[in-house]
Amino acid sequence: MYPNQGICRVTGVETKEIAGRSWEFVTLTREEDGATVMVPREKVAGVGLRRVASEKDIEAIFDYLAAPSDDPELDWKVRHRSHGEKMAAGGLMSTTEVLKGLHTLARLRPLPQKERELYDNARHLLIGEFAAALNIAPALAENHLDYALVPPVGMTRKGRALIPAGPVKGPPPRAASEDGEELDEGTSAAIAAIPAVPGLADLEGALGDVEATETAEDAEATEPGDAPAGDDDDSPAPAKGKAKKPAAAKAKPAARAKPAAKPKAPPAPAKAAKPAKVAKPAAKAKAAPAKKAAPAKHAGKPAAKAKPKPAAKAKPKPAAKAKKKK
Amino acid sequence: MIRILTMGDLSPETLEFVSRRLYAAYGVGAELSGDADAHRNAFDDDQNAWDAAALLKETKGVKTFADDKLLFLTTDPLALPPGPMGAKGPVFGYAQYGGERAIATSAQLTGMGLDDGLAKRAAHHVGHLFDLHHCFDPRCAMYPEWAPPFAQFPEVLLCPFCREKSERRIRLAGT
Repeated sequence: MYPNQGICRVTGVETKEIAGRSWEFVTLTREEDGATVMVPREKVAGVGLRRVASEKDIEAIFDYLAAPSDDPELDWKVRHRSHGEKMAAGGLMSTTEVLKGLHTLARLRPLPQKERELYDNARHLLIGEFAAALNIAPALAENHLDYALVPPVGMTRKGRALIPAGPVKGPPPRAASEDGEELDEGTSAAIAAIPAVPGLADLEGALGDVEATETAEDAEATEPGDAPAGDDDDSPAPAKGKAKKPAAAKAKPAARAKPAAKPKAPPAPAKAAKPAKVAKPAAKAKAAPAKKAAPAKHAGKPAAKAKPKPAAKAKPKPAAKAKKKK
Repeated sequence: MIRILTMGDLSPETLEFVSRRLYAAYGVGAELSGDADAHRNAFDDDQNAWDAAALLKETKGVKTFADDKLLFLTTDPLALPPGPMGAKGPVFGYAQYGGERAIATSAQLTGMGLDDGLAKRAAHHVGHLFDLHHCFDPRCAMYPEWAPPFAQFPEVLLCPFCREKSERRIRLAGT
């Protein structure tokens, strides 16, 4: 058994001269596809090459598989390192631990692509070894592997009844988050705890409208100077910038904006900051662009162009006055 | 090409349904190639069912080309020899992993209609022919077929990982 490669047949020992030195290689042929692997003789033990497991070893493996599983490691860094080491070691038990750990984890959350591949690889290696060691067909070996991991009703192991797998409650987990990152455990648990609401899909559209309206009202209610200056930094997405226009448009006609702008010295940055607050709900309503336009209609006047102008004018005016006074 | 051979009374509608679902799942054409006679030696008297492994080995199929697969569909119960778990588990089909022949039965279908159940079992065992292992995604056709989610989601779907793996295997197949 060659770690990470599977069952190999030893075909002989060859001597080759490489870089002026004579090397003795053990030549192996992979059973699966006939690929040739050459291992320097002195490294045979070091690479983890070992004999195929005995029936007794496999009994112990099935005992382990049928036993209740521990909590999976949730820290992906620890998991990644530990699984990598176990797979490289190539032991039967260590490969089984990787398989069982990932199987348990997969019940809680979807596995990332790399771990999904690792899971499949571990499963493939184990099935190959079971089939070779017990001289049975791989399909039968896999069935029995899953009789232990996902027990059918009435399955027993050494006289002890195994808890059968139950149906899935709620929608099954989908592939991680949209940006490919794993959700942390708190988020996953929170998502899992959300009860299914009938007709939720229908409500979403209406909710989007309400949010958009509320956003418009917020924008009206907030004075330009009230927005914290730090909000400027919170608007990195270009989509948010787009959302500024409708939000600003709702606010007020130009005539009303002027007096508010005059007394306060730094109105312009504050105005720029205000839409950043608004941007989040606007971004939520991304799916329905028509909703973005709704606040502009709500305002009733083409203030979108009018608003930026007073902001621009308002700034220089006090400054100019100050100069004159001097 | 997946060539379907029947060993029992299955209606043409059911067979067509299975063919369509297999095509949808793997993108490989499936056609009905007639009936097959089960070899008597393959009957397991102890379990009162057909020994699926022996049945695939003994039964005469039809001529295949390159990477063609033979799928036998039956209505009779199947069994397999005991394995490392010691206890016998349910058997709804069998496949020569990465090989040419697979069999699926419509016996003991619980919680699923005949068409859906047989199509999903057939897709599951054809998946083994394309080197797919069991999957932990409850919606995937490669989920262990005795577990309740297999019947809970009757659609014949493959998860993205299994789909990609089977597509790669089919692309690399000999022609």
